[in-house]
Amino acid sequence: MAGLAGLLGIVVGSAADPTEEAIRRLPPALTRPVDFHRDVQPILEASCVKCHGRGKANGEWKLDTRDTFLRSGDPGPAARVGDSARSHFIHLVAGTDPDSVMPKKGSKLTAEQVGILRAWVDQGMKWDSQISFAQPPPNNLVPRNPGLPPGKSAHPLDRLLEAYASNHAVRLGKPVDDRQFARRAHLDTVGLLPSPEELDAFLRDRSPDKRSRLVRSLLADKSRYAQHWLTFWNDLLRNDYKGTGYIDGGRKQISQWLYAALRDNLPYDRFVRELVNPTEASEGFTKGIVWRGTVNASMTPSMQAAQNIGQVLMGVNLKCASCHDSFIDDWQLSDAYGLAGIYADGPLEMVLCDKPTGKTAPLKFLFPELGAVDPKAPRSNRLEQLAGIITRRENGRLSRTVVNRLWARLLGRGLVEPLDVMQNPAWSPELLDWLAEDLVAHQWDLKHTLELILTSRAYQLPGVNLPEKPDPAFVFTGPAVRRLTAEQFRDALGSLTGVWQEKPEGGLDRLLLDRVGNRRAEAQAFWIWGDLHGASGVAPGTNVFRRSVVLEEVPTEATLFVHVDNSARVFVNGERARGTESSDWSQASLYDARPLFRAGTNVVTVEAVNGGDVSNPAGLLIYGRIRLAGSKGSRIRDFASDASWSVLTGSGPNWKTTDSTAGWTVAQVLGDPGLAPWNVAEAFTAAVSGQALYGNIRSSLTSADPLDLALGRPNREQVTTVRPSTATTIQALELTNGDTLAKLLKRGAERLVASQPEGRALANRVFRQALCRPPNRAELALALELVGRKPHAEGVEDLLWSVAMLPEFQLTF
Amino acid sequence: MKTPDFTRRDFVKGLSAATLGALAAGYPRQVLAETPAERIPATADTVIVLWMGGGMAATETFDPKRYTPFEKGMNPNTVLSTFPSIPTAVDGIRFSEGLEKVAKVMDRGTLIRSYTAGDLGFILHSRHQFHWHTGYAPPQSVACPHIGAMISRTLGPRDPAVPAFINIGQRFDGGEGEELKAFTSAGFLGSEFGPFNVAFPDAAKDVVTPPGGMSPGRFENRDAFYRKLAAASPVGQLGSGFQKESLVRSLDNAHRLLASPAARAFDLSLEKPETVAKYAPGGWDFSKRLGGDFSREGSYEKANIQRFGLGCLLARRLAEAGARYIEVTTEYIPFLNWDTHEHGHEKLVNMKQAINGAIAQLVLDLEERGMLERTLVVVASEFSRDMMQEGKPDRPITNQVPVPEKIESLTHYGMHRHFTDAGCVLLFGGGIRKGHLHGITADERPCKTLRDRVVIEDLHATLYRALGISPKLSYEIEKRPFYVTRDGSGKPVESLFAKPV
Repeated sequence: MAGLAGLLGIVVGSAADPTEEAIRRLPPALTRPVDFHRDVQPILEASCVKCHGRGKANGEWKLDTRDTFLRSGDPGPAARVGDSARSHFIHLVAGTDPDSVMPKKGSKLTAEQVGILRAWVDQGMKWDSQISFAQPPPNNLVPRNPGLPPGKSAHPLDRLLEAYASNHAVRLGKPVDDRQFARRAHLDTVGLLPSPEELDAFLRDRSPDKRSRLVRSLLADKSRYAQHWLTFWNDLLRNDYKGTGYIDGGRKQISQWLYAALRDNLPYDRFVRELVNPTEASEGFTKGIVWRGTVNASMTPSMQAAQNIGQVLMGVNLKCASCHDSFIDDWQLSDAYGLAGIYADGPLEMVLCDKPTGKTAPLKFLFPELGAVDPKAPRSNRLEQLAGIITRRENGRLSRTVVNRLWARLLGRGLVEPLDVMQNPAWSPELLDWLAEDLVAHQWDLKHTLELILTSRAYQLPGVNLPEKPDPAFVFTGPAVRRLTAEQFRDALGSLTGVWQEKPEGGLDRLLLDRVGNRRAEAQAFWIWGDLHGASGVAPGTNVFRRSVVLEEVPTEATLFVHVDNSARVFVNGERARGTESSDWSQASLYDARPLFRAGTNVVTVEAVNGGDVSNPAGLLIYGRIRLAGSKGSRIRDFASDASWSVLTGSGPNWKTTDSTAGWTVAQVLGDPGLAPWNVAEAFTAAVSGQALYGNIRSSLTSADPLDLALGRPNREQVTTVRPSTATTIQALELTNGDTLAKLLKRGAERLVASQPEGRALANRVFRQALCRPPNRAELALALELVGRKPHAEGVEDLLWSVAMLPEFQLTF
Repeated sequence: MKTPDFTRRDFVKGLSAATLGALAAGYPRQVLAETPAERIPATADTVIVLWMGGGMAATETFDPKRYTPFEKGMNPNTVLSTFPSIPTAVDGIRFSEGLEKVAKVMDRGTLIRSYTAGDLGFILHSRHQFHWHTGYAPPQSVACPHIGAMISRTLGPRDPAVPAFINIGQRFDGGEGEELKAFTSAGFLGSEFGPFNVAFPDAAKDVVTPPGGMSPGRFENRDAFYRKLAAASPVGQLGSGFQKESLVRSLDNAHRLLASPAARAFDLSLEKPETVAKYAPGGWDFSKRLGGDFSREGSYEKANIQRFGLGCLLARRLAEAGARYIEVTTEYIPFLNWDTHEHGHEKLVNMKQAINGAIAQLVLDLEERGMLERTLVVVASEFSRDMMQEGKPDRPITNQVPVPEKIESLTHYGMHRHFTDAGCVLLFGGGIRKGHLHGITADERPCKTLRDRVVIEDLHATLYRALGISPKLSYEIEKRPFYVTRDGSGKPVESLFAKPV
């Protein structure tokens, strides 16, 4: 990307002594005594060590130490101590031979700088042995257990934090209250707001260990945990249900593998092994994204694998080094190619800034000290070896990188920042190292680490507003105020309104079913009405439909899905069914009629009204999902609207007071669910096959829509390790004016009004669900003014919008 | 006294604070640093790109070659242009028949015939479009910003009440939608600089009016209620951080746009029907809505020749209102519109009707308003097409479109393969030379570039140069410089400017 020209200048040393002519042209040596630190070191650092230090030895010149310096030069020597005029390197930096002048890149040395170096050589070339320009040893690589400092706290992280606080003269605040803690803990473990009932139960609990028990029980909720952390790992592993590459088979999802891994809490070392040395289900990560056509050498699939393994698992950025030796750190082209070559099918020629070099890099992992890969082994064996090296006990970078990511997710800022530069020191190396070792000691159980952090004092401190720009002098005083992710925001709206996504993607539907379910509809539904011309328009009025449903026993599930133009009341055995009713024919109303069905013959009756003043379309579409799970095993007794229904039109006898069949005729079948003008086939199928089977479909299980994108869900074309959290105007336009949110809130408001016909109770419910607290007096008064004592849908819609826009809703304090 | 101007300045202040916020948006994340580059005097303030998505055949539009009328059984190799050529307002420049109105304004601009698309191998339209719009070919290790986002990040909106980058006419839910999304984005710059998407120009008003069914009064009440509620929230007293402030400020900004007079710029029904008809052949009835029929619209037998023109009219209104970068597309949908794999000739009749009046009228309207001097209008496509040659003559790539040995019907009459060696770009206004031709192409197949080749880096550098932006300007991502032209290598084509700097 930032393809800057190579710096691979080759210096040819000269054995011949410099000529007298050349010596005459040298600038004079300084006469004053020179100091290595003050005078020499800055020159070497500015002009020499980029190519001749920090792991590089261009032209076989290595300036790491005095000793390597003196031994440099081919054939050498680089310098004659005490005789600068006959020192080879002095002639190079002075440029006495215009064909070989050092440095090759950047500004040449001034006469004064050459004079300093001459004086340095003449005065004995003193070198502080503490100073080395060699590549510094990698940071955060070797495992280290710092042990726990003494202290009274039982929680190991508290002991570490208290020691940190006293070293940094930080006074730690009091833990947040139960409501705030519960809100945080729910959002951070399962990604959902607690329901008012869950919250009340927690508040009522008086036992001293209730916070730990809450954390444990939330982490034990396998599917909700998996559906929350899917977001985090999808970002990190660049996995999505839609995106570039799929049209050409140039990309593969790992959704099903990942979901199962999270649900089953796969130990992290195994998780990594299956990513690095993948099965068919997990190979999408290292397969990369391939677009049709020719691909730049720095972005071939094996280079992408190297970059992503480096970044995600090891906190190493190889993107620069994929084109040329990096200018921002010590990674070299040969490091990137050395790792990529392990994935390549054949020898991988190194390409330097789009120019083939004719060379291949020896195969190796980023930190060769962790072990070697046999370059002669077939690819599958190499991957196995690589997976073994990365997950070795000696690789303290893998564990540190992941605990740092978890810490950052839960506390808003990493122990090391940026999260992808694990070479940087942590603000508390003890915390980082201890957590990493503890993870390994607990069989790489990520839930164990999460539990430790979530129950720590650090996590429970009041939120801190961190400055927008990272502060290098950061001192920890509490978790950062964080913004909900797009997925948390959408799911919070789901909890608040009862409106969820329609259908899981990525083949996850199978995994969401906790039983072997039939995803197909078992009965075929049709639009029906009393008049055959219902779809084209008939007079306003009421049609009553009924049919009987015979069941061997009481059902374990009885859900009715109803689309109606314009409205309906549903009865089972004469009792009105309860559910979420939609006044919009394009949305299915949903009834849980289980309490109303009994063993034997049941009668389902629907009173459907065609509204309006003039002739207009009228129709009814029903699907009844009935499941029996008795002694004889699971049985399906689904039924749907079709010609088996009877209809009573106009001013027939009152169906409630008479069992007579007089006046009842056969219902007219108008057409299948896709019939115009309703065209609800898709919504209907989604409703029938979706919600009833899978429960509430979470945002993480679906592709991004415009609202998700505006809220910062990344497109996952690249690995994303941090999402932006600042609100933007484009985002606010989507929130204020976008179709997605407007529709969602409209439906949600209708549901709420249907289920909660009293203004005060409704307002209370909204605040308790959204903000985990009842409204204060001022808020309640405002809300009642808006929604009215008998709430109307528009007012509720505006209340929901306003609450969802509150910083208190969108941020975690 | 509080004058309107004062209010506006006030708002500018508010918004620039928001923008500053967005620069370092999303702590902790990459901080974007602008590399100082030499200052260049701008010759344009606004850019309007008219995008001929799908590969506009040069020989059928702005670089006509020998006309070969249809004959049953003709040898496809003999077909160069399927339309006769017509004169333009400039001696020595001829267009293909059907572009008479654009021909009349050719004296206002420059025609490049030597645009050379990248060598990306086996053709994928969206990949070339990605390359055209970002200067980089995917995949890339960072999310590349669209040129509109780069410009809006660097210059901001001309009027803070209007989104800086507005993208008109493209849907993303079919065909190569995901690939289009991948570059129709601010990438690593952050969504603040991303496109404000308007898929249907006739309904543009909807994107800036309160959501479905909400009266303006209710919209105002909702906002007022929100403010009171926020003030009553106990968190209101919890001190402030950038996250909370940015949230409140962003909602403020959105509300202001929606309530501002600038929002009227989105309402095309405010235009006189005669004006609308000049852009959209036959005029438009704003009580009806453009459909969403992906499947056939843009095929040879069913074309919408008005949507693009309405987009151009919207672009003019938004340019007047103060947008910075506007793109209007004929819409890329595989096998439809300019993607003339079959029925090429017939489709082009429709496409020319769609663009002919629209492009010309946009230029004339801008001129009449005194805006053309500072508004750069660019008509471009990802590559050209040819009957026989796929890619470039000297770099063979896999053919995608079978061509029969003899042409028996109109199905095979037209430019069906993807030709990347020479394509046309039209430039009007914004300091660009008038009545100028750049680049020469061969008169016989392969109609390749013979002189004055222009590649994407240089075309971008030219646009940036017009806006006073150096091609070496870069933003920092993961501590690496990301240049507005690939590796800072773009060189403006100086000869395209009316006055040398």
